[in-house]
Amino acid sequence: MIAIKVENISKLYRLGNTGTGRLREDIRFWLKRPNATKHLLWALKDINFEISQGEVMGFIGNNGAGKSTLLKIISSITTPTTGKISGKGSIASLLEVGSGFHGDLTGRENIFLNGNILGMKNHEIKKSFDEIIAFSGVEELIDTPVKHYSSGMYMRLAFAVAAHLNPEILIVDEVLAVGDVEFQRKCLGKMKEISDRKGKTVLFVSHNTQALQNLCDRVITLHKGHIIDAGRPAEVITNYLKSTDNNFLEQSYDTPESAPGNDYIRIRKIAIQYDTEIFDIRTPFSTKFEFWYNDPAPGSLIVGIHLFNMAGECIFDVASKGAQLHPGLITGECQIPGNFLNNGAYYLSIVFVKDTTQRLFYFEGCLSFNVEDFRENTAWFGKWMGYVRPAFPVVLNQQHVL
Amino acid sequence: MKHEESWDWEINANTKWFDWNLREIVSYRDLLFRFVRRNLIASYQQTILGPFWVFIQPALTTLVYYIIFGKVVKISTGGIPPVLFYLSGILFWSFFSDCLNGTMYTFLQNANIFNKVYFPRLVVPVSNVISHSIRIGIQLLLFIAIYLYNAATIGLAGNYYIFITPFLLLLTAGFGLGAGLIISVFTAKYRDLDYALQFLLRLFMFATPVVYPASIVPEKYQFLFWLNPLTVIIETFRAAYFSNEPVHYLRLALGTIVVLALLVVGITLFKKKELKIMDVV
Repeated sequence: MIAIKVENISKLYRLGNTGTGRLREDIRFWLKRPNATKHLLWALKDINFEISQGEVMGFIGNNGAGKSTLLKIISSITTPTTGKISGKGSIASLLEVGSGFHGDLTGRENIFLNGNILGMKNHEIKKSFDEIIAFSGVEELIDTPVKHYSSGMYMRLAFAVAAHLNPEILIVDEVLAVGDVEFQRKCLGKMKEISDRKGKTVLFVSHNTQALQNLCDRVITLHKGHIIDAGRPAEVITNYLKSTDNNFLEQSYDTPESAPGNDYIRIRKIAIQYDTEIFDIRTPFSTKFEFWYNDPAPGSLIVGIHLFNMAGECIFDVASKGAQLHPGLITGECQIPGNFLNNGAYYLSIVFVKDTTQRLFYFEGCLSFNVEDFRENTAWFGKWMGYVRPAFPVVLNQQHVL
Repeated sequence: MKHEESWDWEINANTKWFDWNLREIVSYRDLLFRFVRRNLIASYQQTILGPFWVFIQPALTTLVYYIIFGKVVKISTGGIPPVLFYLSGILFWSFFSDCLNGTMYTFLQNANIFNKVYFPRLVVPVSNVISHSIRIGIQLLLFIAIYLYNAATIGLAGNYYIFITPFLLLLTAGFGLGAGLIISVFTAKYRDLDYALQFLLRLFMFATPVVYPASIVPEKYQFLFWLNPLTVIIETFRAAYFSNEPVHYLRLALGTIVVLALLVVGITLFKKKELKIMDVV
């Protein structure tokens, strides 16, 4: 049975400054002057899909792809420009946690306020009130104004209310992107429980591809307001990751004159290469480089590679042995095994050093790449801790039987 | 094969005119009263005098008007004891302006929440008006206390039409709400309206018999003057409490019609625009 049917949904936004001149712009719009159409943006264009009852549907896409607009339209927060959505069953949306929380009110008052705002009746809130408090873990402060809460407690209380919503259709947008690891773990666990056990229809937007893969029955990819892919999570997510390759994996130059460098070193090429379709934590890769060496008084040359995460923390610094090389074209390579780096975004720099002390050239941040996550047989899909993620075996041995 | 599906709800590109959907608002009554409670609790948090401000505000304003308009400028109060005269005008005026101000920024002040959660938007202004109604209910006790004291000491006229007071309050609330709903749709879009409106509102107070009696308005402006529902409300109230004259039904009917018209236009416009407007806030 179909729970939600979306037909030909489009959404047009008028852009432009919303301050002064608004009235003039409006009049121009009404008169349909030619340059009035300049500031139009189709956030969604001809969206069609159906969701069956009990199905968990995920949405992915880059920022500005229209995911949030789509959820807002389905949640009745804004209207579509064209099209129609029909649905069966009560609907609640969770586009943020803690909507309407008032700092001056106590935790208790805010549970009721937020619950009512999300569409719960007083008797429904009363029924699950003890559960909400237990889940939030803020029992002692329940009669304290929430402005005195830490941000973590605030989020926990807010999510606790939301987690006890009981609609037939639940819409969730990226709420899991906030809060600490512990909080995310709790949220995702609850999401899993809701979708598994209670058989609810869920619409779920997230950038966490691992969560999408684990929670969803189907995933839709949006790109610039269009549906470009839909189907089983594993395939759709793989396609999405391939298409959104924003990695900077190669730089190459034909002549020394155009190449970055200086009188001693000119970079001809530096690249990261791997053989698989997706670059995830299991993927071994190699960093290959070629450079023109033009030192009139060559010494012992060392080439080092520095790898950083996006926070700028150095993950490793590896270097070649010192080598006596003649001017000309030099090539080099550094192999990095799979099951070594944790998932995340990285950039690397390459450094050329003469006689262990004289830095000839430092090519900073020349490549960047993303290592995607991959997990099997695990129920935990929040961010995995650590800089590295080696596949060291952890072995259990039974010593006694009681 | 074509088969008919029965849907529980539907979202369309165009919202209908005159689709008030009042049943939905009734189903959100828990939220409505929750907002009322929040407004009342939150507005006196971290104040030393707390709820006493409900009395202090009109009392101080009355004192100021009594000194300026009564003692310095010496405007006639039409034979009514000055304190009661100013207090009655101030109570209705501030009730009206609170309802109006609380309603006309509905979209601007609630943009955050309106962008994240759906509930019938009308719940917000209606809850606002209810909160202010509770306040004026309490403030009227102050008026009645002073009224009874004066009646006992100097003796006051007054007649059974004082029982029309709840209806007058309802009219005032309806006036503030209706006008506020219409304005709210425009303030959301055109921010500069805000400045103009606050100025106009101040002017409007002087077009209303708050600090002077209706009798001093020149004959040729009388009709225009009585078109203002607040004139009807305040003058009917004073007539009931301080004279033996019966209610002027024609004027009351006119005021009621103006208020009802504003309410119908206001609710219709608000319901029609409540979702679309969020794209421009």
